[in-house]
Amino acid sequence: MVSELEGSTAGTSELKPLGIANDADSFLSPRFKSAAAMAGWDEEALLIASLVVDDTPEREFQQKKRSDLQRKSPASASASRRKRRTLTSIISIPVTVLDLEEEEPAVKDDGPKQEPKYAEAEAKKCDSMVEQKADASSLSSSTLPCMDKLREELSCAICLEICFEPSTTPCGHSFCKKCLRSAADKCGKRCPKCRQLISNGRSCTVNTVLWNTIQLLFPKEVEARKEVKECNSHEKKNQDPEKAFYSSLQNYNTRPTGTSSRHASNSSRRRAEITVGEEDGEWDSRMTQRAASSNAESRVQSRMHRRSIRPMRMATRGADVRSSRRGTPDQDQDAALALRLQREEFLEAFRDTTQVHTRSSLSLTRANIRAIASRAAINLRISGHQNL
Amino acid sequence: MVGNRDQRPQLPPLGGGRSSSSISLAAPTSWASTTSVSASGKRIQREMTEFNLDPPSDCSAGPKGDNLYHWFATIFGPSGTPYEGGIFFLDIIFPSDYPFNPPKVVFKTRIYHCNVDSTGNVSLDILKDNWSPALTIAKVLIAVKSIFVNPNPYDPNAPGVAHLYLADRAKHDEIAAEWTLRFAK
Repeated sequence: MVSELEGSTAGTSELKPLGIANDADSFLSPRFKSAAAMAGWDEEALLIASLVVDDTPEREFQQKKRSDLQRKSPASASASRRKRRTLTSIISIPVTVLDLEEEEPAVKDDGPKQEPKYAEAEAKKCDSMVEQKADASSLSSSTLPCMDKLREELSCAICLEICFEPSTTPCGHSFCKKCLRSAADKCGKRCPKCRQLISNGRSCTVNTVLWNTIQLLFPKEVEARKEVKECNSHEKKNQDPEKAFYSSLQNYNTRPTGTSSRHASNSSRRRAEITVGEEDGEWDSRMTQRAASSNAESRVQSRMHRRSIRPMRMATRGADVRSSRRGTPDQDQDAALALRLQREEFLEAFRDTTQVHTRSSLSLTRANIRAIASRAAINLRISGHQNL
Repeated sequence: MVGNRDQRPQLPPLGGGRSSSSISLAAPTSWASTTSVSASGKRIQREMTEFNLDPPSDCSAGPKGDNLYHWFATIFGPSGTPYEGGIFFLDIIFPSDYPFNPPKVVFKTRIYHCNVDSTGNVSLDILKDNWSPALTIAKVLIAVKSIFVNPNPYDPNAPGVAHLYLADRAKHDEIAAEWTLRFAK
């Protein structure tokens, strides 16, 4: 494990110029690229940025990253390198990765043939390798505490998470924009950290440098919070079409009604509803009675009665009755109703699984959908007649 | 982070009677409001993990039962004070808009202290006007611990005790130690 890792780190020194010359894809980690894309950097900027980073003296971290990428490919490490390493481990000199790398290119060629031998050697010097491993792990973990500190430093003192759209106070403390605003609203216009007066808590601006840094460092966290935010806004949007549907329904109800075609569809609807009634016996007899008398008013009354039993279904059923009384709604409304019914069914199934209603309400929903289908068929037939 | 998101659906039941009843009262609109409920719940949960990772010395705290908004804390009486050797239990109740309003901290163990009245209410400025949303339960407990060492007789909850503290410190300490022995051990 360790040998591979170090070998590949050494290997990168040869690959480096190639990568820079050819394309950005080979040496930029996908995670970095996605983060950069999020921050709105284009390809060119990325390339330039990577070149700039390459020139900086702190190369250790980068190389580690690259070695991580390369570890997946079959070991390109040459045996001579291993030999050298095992030797050094015998003398138990702490491994210095950089030294190995620089000497590397000269001895690279006599690689694969000798490998088995050195594998044996490695097996023998297992315990010395363990020592090395400890060294390596301490090396690799050196970046982690730094990340933890960064996380601590960049998290909002109010929600205790990574700052989302950070806003900085005049006294120099940063919080999520949303957190700072609600803190100013509810706890007075003082900095939560140092109690200095904040001149204007309402019009806080996002600290763009800090925000971009956070997006680059913690893309996952930022993405998660963005998703939550989008989810919330979606929920709000989804409620709107329903409201529109209801208001249109109300308008519809006020319109004058009563043509022969509507009567026909009305009776077919009633038939469909009788099949609904059959599923719970209590309603069965009432429904047939009602079908015989075909009295719309009594029907509404019984509907009201039913509402008191199942207040949950009130809205849908009420709308349903109204529309069926006044005439056939058009197909758009049917579609909207079907969608609503489905959603209600879903919600209900989740809300109270213990209640007995669920089964009957499911069947009711099914019957409603059936009614819609039959209505659509009649609509088609009517339009066919008119065409003839 | 991902783990946190997975836990989110569990928050409403943890939020205790209030939020769960609002769900059973139905209306699909309550589904949207659960996110705002969990904003405080989320913060409290985060505080809990942070507290467990790095608890202040001589303190412990955590939710009492299922209810994330109702905690239970203990403070060991600091050495060098008349409260030394005592274990003091506290109740902490978080408001629903938690970081923006202070938690309510009440002593459950009787204590002879000028800033704690007979029902256990603590007079501590950061739990009242000087609350800041950047404060955490760990900091509150440290503050409570500090009044064991340095009582503030000028803002007393028990004026008699404060008077004795100012007039005859030795007598005060003696009584306090006696109470600690009687109630906090």
